[in-house]
Amino acid sequence: MLHRILTKTLRDTRRAFFWWTLGLVGLVALMVSVYPSVRDNASLNKLVNDYPEALKGFVAFGGELDYVSGAGYLGSELFALMVPLLLLVAAIGAGGRALAGEEESGTLELLLTNPVSRRRVVAEKLAALTIELVGLGVVLWAALLVGCRAVDLKVSGAHLAAATISAVLLAVAYGAIALLVGAAFGHRARAVGLTAALAVAAYVVNGLAPLVDALEPLRKLSPFYHYAASDPLRHGLAVGHVGVLLAIAVVAAVLAPIAFDRRDLATT
Amino acid sequence: MSSVVHVERLTKSYGSVRGVVDLDLDVQTGEVFGYLGPNGAGKTTTIRTILDLIRPTSGRVAVFGLDPRREGVEVRRRVGYLPGDLRLYEQLTPRELMRYFASLRGMRALDPAIRLAERFELELDRRIAALSRGNRQKVGLVQAFMHGPELLVLDEPTSGLDPLVQQAFYELVRETADAGRTVFLSSHVLPEVQHVADRVALVREGRLVLVDSVENLRAHAFTRVEITFAEPPPRGAFAGLPGVKELERRGPLLVFAVEGEIDPLVKALACYRVVALDSHEADLEDVFLSLYRAGEQHAA
Repeated sequence: MLHRILTKTLRDTRRAFFWWTLGLVGLVALMVSVYPSVRDNASLNKLVNDYPEALKGFVAFGGELDYVSGAGYLGSELFALMVPLLLLVAAIGAGGRALAGEEESGTLELLLTNPVSRRRVVAEKLAALTIELVGLGVVLWAALLVGCRAVDLKVSGAHLAAATISAVLLAVAYGAIALLVGAAFGHRARAVGLTAALAVAAYVVNGLAPLVDALEPLRKLSPFYHYAASDPLRHGLAVGHVGVLLAIAVVAAVLAPIAFDRRDLATT
Repeated sequence: MSSVVHVERLTKSYGSVRGVVDLDLDVQTGEVFGYLGPNGAGKTTTIRTILDLIRPTSGRVAVFGLDPRREGVEVRRRVGYLPGDLRLYEQLTPRELMRYFASLRGMRALDPAIRLAERFELELDRRIAALSRGNRQKVGLVQAFMHGPELLVLDEPTSGLDPLVQQAFYELVRETADAGRTVFLSSHVLPEVQHVADRVALVREGRLVLVDSVENLRAHAFTRVEITFAEPPPRGAFAGLPGVKELERRGPLLVFAVEGEIDPLVKALACYRVVALDSHEADLEDVFLSLYRAGEQHAA
């Protein structure tokens, strides 16, 4: 594992990765196991539909709020909040650690005095981050697949994959932003804090936009909108929305080495 | 001219804080160059510029004639570096750390690193987190030397090393220079480098004060004579004595630097009541400082 910066970084995160997979699998198992009692209780839909409008935007994942159908249930219980929340925490943490964390702990100094360009360090750290999140996505998808079969929750494997891919793309985008902020300033706390604040703002804008006219034009700037807008659990992915999420990640990935290359490395 | 490190009018400021100012430096192929100065003088700033960890505010640095900024990968391929504030991957063992850096350097085998580790009696398979300061410093030294670089840049290399290991380190430096490779090492005190360095430079408050060969410094060696008088003699009482220079005066204690015969001073002392007299060969630090003070007076 100690041949490249990429594999070394993955090696460093293997313990955290294990706990994240455990968390995701546990979450899926818990939520899916409750589904049979929801399915048999059509009155729940009426309850959910009586939610205040302000809440509905946060509870639905893409399409109509429908708590009893398989796609509606998974959307509300997992993909509307918990899955992106967990993946984003993992992504932003990894993005902050990637450069800023290693700079603060002082080991980046020695790493950069090897014959590797800063550009390459950034590229390999970004690749490691992406691989880690894709790995979590695969675990999430597998857990969903098994869970849905077990309780006869009717969402196809392809649609589960679509929702998972959308969540992973969202997480990669925020992870790349955290890495960029860390590359530009060299402070892990700032990278994590700033990126988390951006994510919360984007989440709130997307959730409230249907209610608040002033926010409506901002909605399309929110990555959370593009994450859910195609209603992945029912209709799969849409090129446009996927493209926006990818574009955010790519822009951050392009800016990170530029910001990092210009800067003095901090002394510890 | 074969300068391995060429620094020209280098200035580095951190906001309003001074790093180094208008610094010129040339390190020649195959020499051991001691870079001296008190803590905070700008030694680490100079060194980190050579490695492209920080960028000059103005001025120029060339290593092997290359620009560390644009051709940094090529420069660092040929340089071994030991940071002054050494931070290692705590979760790795020294062997793992060396394997990591060796593969980043494209080294095929780990044998040279293992031989160095044996030479320094460094245990290779304990986690770095569990190592003492001296052992960490050994890890730092091994990773700096293991790829046989043409230039070694070592920031305070002996800090934390016990005297026996320091000796082993000096031997390694000497062998490295004898093999035609170049060693640039910093220290805050001269005695640490005087036995191993060919030339030394002194930097103070970000400016280069003096560059001289150790040989030349030795030629300026003098006897340091400290005399305590019953009554402080009047100022200028010993002026004009051949080879005698008053270095300092603290109440009844006067310190002289004497080059050549001590007799003229002894004769002149006869007029005063002397309480105590102590004389010893000055070490290079004293020589260095006296030359430095002379330089300062010239500048003023």
